[in-house]
Amino acid sequence: MDVNQPKQEHLLALKVMRLTKPTLFTNIPVTCEERDLPGNLFNQLMKDDPSTVKGAETLMLGEMLTLPQNFGNIFLGETFSSYISVHNDSSQVVKDILVKADLQTSSQRLNLSASSAAVAELKPDCCIDDVIHHEVKEIGTHILVCAVSYTTQTGEKMYFRKFFKFQVLKPLDVKTKFYNAETDEVFLEAQIQNITTSPMFMEKVSLEPSMMYNVAELNTVDTAGESESTFGARTYLQPMDTRQYLYCLKPKQEFAEKAGVIKGVTVIGKLDIVWKTNLGERGRLQTSQLQRM
Amino acid sequence: NNAKDPKSTSDEDDSRDIVQQKTQEEILFHEETIDLGGDEFESEGNETVSEDSNNFVDKLNEQMMESVIISDSPNNSEDDTGELGCLQEIVDQMEAKDNQKSQTEVDKEEFLSNESETEHEETPRDISEIGTDDQASLKEESIQEAVKEEPKLGNNIPVETKPNNIDESTPEDQILSPSTTEPSSEAEPIPVCTIFSQANNASSQPQLFLPDGFEPQMVKSPSFSSIIETPVKSNPQVVQPSPSLSKFFGDTVNTNTLASDFFDSFTTSNFISVSNPNASSSVPEQMSSLSNGGDGSSSNPTFPVQNGRPEAGGPPSSLEINQSPKPFSQIQAVFAGSDDPFATALNMSELDRRNDAWIPSEETRNVLISVATQQYSAVFIDKENLTMPGLKFDNIQGDAVKDLMLRFLGEQAAVKRQVLNANSVEQSFVGLKQLISSKNWRAAVDLCGRLLTAHGQGYKKSGLPASHTTDSLQLWFVRLSLLVKLNLFQSAEMEFEPFGNLDQPDLYYEYYPNVYPGRKGSMVPFSMRILHAELPQYLGNPQESLDRLHSMKIICAKILENLEQGLAEDGSMTNITQENRQASVQLWRSRLGRVMYSMANCLLMMKDYVLAVDAYHSVIKYYPQQEPQLLSGIGRIFLQIGDIKTAEKYFQDVEKVTHKLDGLQSQIMVLMNRAFLHLGQNNFAEAHRFFTEILRIDSSNAVANNNAAVCLLYLGKLKDSLRQLEGMVQQDPQHYLHESVLFNLTTMYELESSRSMQKKQALLEAVAIKEGDSFNTQCLKLG
Repeated sequence: MDVNQPKQEHLLALKVMRLTKPTLFTNIPVTCEERDLPGNLFNQLMKDDPSTVKGAETLMLGEMLTLPQNFGNIFLGETFSSYISVHNDSSQVVKDILVKADLQTSSQRLNLSASSAAVAELKPDCCIDDVIHHEVKEIGTHILVCAVSYTTQTGEKMYFRKFFKFQVLKPLDVKTKFYNAETDEVFLEAQIQNITTSPMFMEKVSLEPSMMYNVAELNTVDTAGESESTFGARTYLQPMDTRQYLYCLKPKQEFAEKAGVIKGVTVIGKLDIVWKTNLGERGRLQTSQLQRM
Repeated sequence: NNAKDPKSTSDEDDSRDIVQQKTQEEILFHEETIDLGGDEFESEGNETVSEDSNNFVDKLNEQMMESVIISDSPNNSEDDTGELGCLQEIVDQMEAKDNQKSQTEVDKEEFLSNESETEHEETPRDISEIGTDDQASLKEESIQEAVKEEPKLGNNIPVETKPNNIDESTPEDQILSPSTTEPSSEAEPIPVCTIFSQANNASSQPQLFLPDGFEPQMVKSPSFSSIIETPVKSNPQVVQPSPSLSKFFGDTVNTNTLASDFFDSFTTSNFISVSNPNASSSVPEQMSSLSNGGDGSSSNPTFPVQNGRPEAGGPPSSLEINQSPKPFSQIQAVFAGSDDPFATALNMSELDRRNDAWIPSEETRNVLISVATQQYSAVFIDKENLTMPGLKFDNIQGDAVKDLMLRFLGEQAAVKRQVLNANSVEQSFVGLKQLISSKNWRAAVDLCGRLLTAHGQGYKKSGLPASHTTDSLQLWFVRLSLLVKLNLFQSAEMEFEPFGNLDQPDLYYEYYPNVYPGRKGSMVPFSMRILHAELPQYLGNPQESLDRLHSMKIICAKILENLEQGLAEDGSMTNITQENRQASVQLWRSRLGRVMYSMANCLLMMKDYVLAVDAYHSVIKYYPQQEPQLLSGIGRIFLQIGDIKTAEKYFQDVEKVTHKLDGLQSQIMVLMNRAFLHLGQNNFAEAHRFFTEILRIDSSNAVANNNAAVCLLYLGKLKDSLRQLEGMVQQDPQHYLHESVLFNLTTMYELESSRSMQKKQALLEAVAIKEGDSFNTQCLKLG
């Protein structure tokens, strides 16, 4: 096989960009007072800057959206979104274009393309766009494999692929501890730690009990008729922060009566966790059945 | 050994595809862009560590066999591990492809015969065409290790994503006696209490296995060895100039995947401010004669450190002062608590007093008192207590836009680029203002330098005695402000350094009774104090910023308290008319508000959102007219955290507040917030609708234009998005050639085609016509 074949120019170009949520532009306010040398010059410059908040130019956090600047991290339970653009860089019409995006994980290969139909033709300087979404269900190496095949004007069939590798990381560390009460009640303490690098808003942490139990969440305190979260005003977890959730499980009436039965039960339920990060980027995880000894 | 046994579920179609296209592929391999250099290294390093801990866990598991419920389907994980091994192989071989091509045929055969199991697996074979043998065998070892790791899985309850939970009901991979097998979290520096992550933490030490009663709940991971870095590095508070500032709110630490891995032509273009090559780090401290400010009577070449300083003989009492043979009025002028209408009324305008008021530290106050009392004899001040600033670099002039033009567009084009420089304007404040407003801030910095040089505080003058005037401090303020605006934080810090904490005696008017007879207060503009306080946060030290802001807050509050008690700002018993008092209260409340604003901004940078929100709330008290903007801002903070509900609550409050007002601005604000809320709910189509709505009532709204375009991209409409952004840049380049807009535009150019360079250069030409020398060219990503 001739491996030293000259590099072949493709008529089409494939570009991929991960679509994490955009971020808000932040500006650095520099102000002065009227009696200072620049007069109102600095303030005027800030007013003219399109990225400042009009009427509150000193507010750092602006409203201008900027596109993601790097791949960032992706965590288990989040949705991987990507823009796939195939552009005709050439000056000729290209035919029968087929773009295929597959995600190769450690256990499977998934097709992520919205449609598998071929595009009949692509004029110069036009592009085929696709935005793919995939909820990440495995940790570790993922490879996005994008394959493009097309036919040139001369009828030559062309094909190329690109590989994009990324790592899926673990977002949370979950530890549990059971306390058996003298009655049939079981208390579950769950420690959930944010091991990502960004703050995480915990939208939902709930225990789905197994069929024999009813669960009471002990994560609010009643003060003056209003239930207040035990976590206070802080609704989010900073990186490396840990929270303790407490649940009380009571056997359902029909099982409680048969005292012997419930003692032997080890399957308690599972934790369901939903979180959100930047501009509502969502993630969800569930533990498998928690086991009591 | 089944370790390499692939899942039989490999995609049949794919296999066929591959067979058909095999010949072509082999030609086209150069297109593949996976770069694995770093990863391979990391994973190998990790595996060696995990091997050690493996052994330990193995032993541990042997002893505990009875108590372990053996997983119903251990094969699952074994398969997974094997699979991942294959995956790594693929990838490693891809990496090697370029230089190994000539060997591929031979290698392929060897490879295949070695591992017949993989023969039917699409991917490995596919890759083996380019792979090398030694890499494959190398990897094989690590796979064996991965298999050994297997038993460790037993410790963990798998965490799965919801849709994956088919077999959750079966108790899988769990050890029943966690108290003996669990690693203790407390012994680890990073409390990731899972067996697997222990591989990173020298976990094989037995003492780590102290039971804490907690059972680690693990994510079901086929092989952990590839997850190398636990993303637990604390965010360094390193500030990168905008627009990477936006990273404060995003994922700052890019642990694993560089964009360059992913976007083959995308580079992560951080906007790093260029440090000035001319900046000299140290200026030799020179011992030379110190003329004592306005006094000018001292020719003593040494610094009689104690002489004349109040500490020498204890704090001067008022008795001593009264003995001083000085004109009464001048003494009075210095003294808090004195009440002589003559001195103040004659020598000090209301406005000056109000604006310049500041409360010095006790030490500084004592020095100032002694200056006033020892009018006719020399006062010697410890050198450390004097402010001796000087330029740390004499010339930062330069025009990055022109440099880029030279590089990409040629000399002819570059010649056309004409911007004002420090020579082309009047060497005065007028010229300075001209440079600032035409956005030639680099030239303006230089002109400030020249004017300061004329004032004896030029290059290499730092550490030499200097006399200060209102003008010299204003010049410093402008120069330092511009350095900050140019993101040259380090340079600003260097030049700020001689000013200390802005409380040295020679920065007060009282220090120069001959030059400023009767004038009181600080020469340092209030805005310069703000700048000084804010600066450390841009250099990764927000705590220092908070400290400085806090001391400013205390002084502002004290001044307000003095005013309320019928005293002058500095606590002296000066008569102030009601009208003037009112004006002063207003000024100082607004200044206190400005300090609170900076505190809130700083807390936001520190990601202490709870305190930041509190601080912004208190800013509203000082600037009630900004309530809608500030409430919207707080709403956006919550959006960034991900707390959409609270964000919505704030946006509703904005609607209530603006309900009373009508007018374009509040209408826009409401629409903008609604758009952001949809963004938070992942509804880009609705967000786009609201941004477009804003454009209907205010077609020139830059934010709405840009944001609508961004939404279009997320909706898969790259071309439309580009059209919108290009349209706005062409329509009003004066306003829209903003770095955030240009950054978005160039990013989309890169996504669009391989010819993005030409389009970027066209942008450069547009920038060259409109923008001054302060333009941040990095957003053009011409690299």
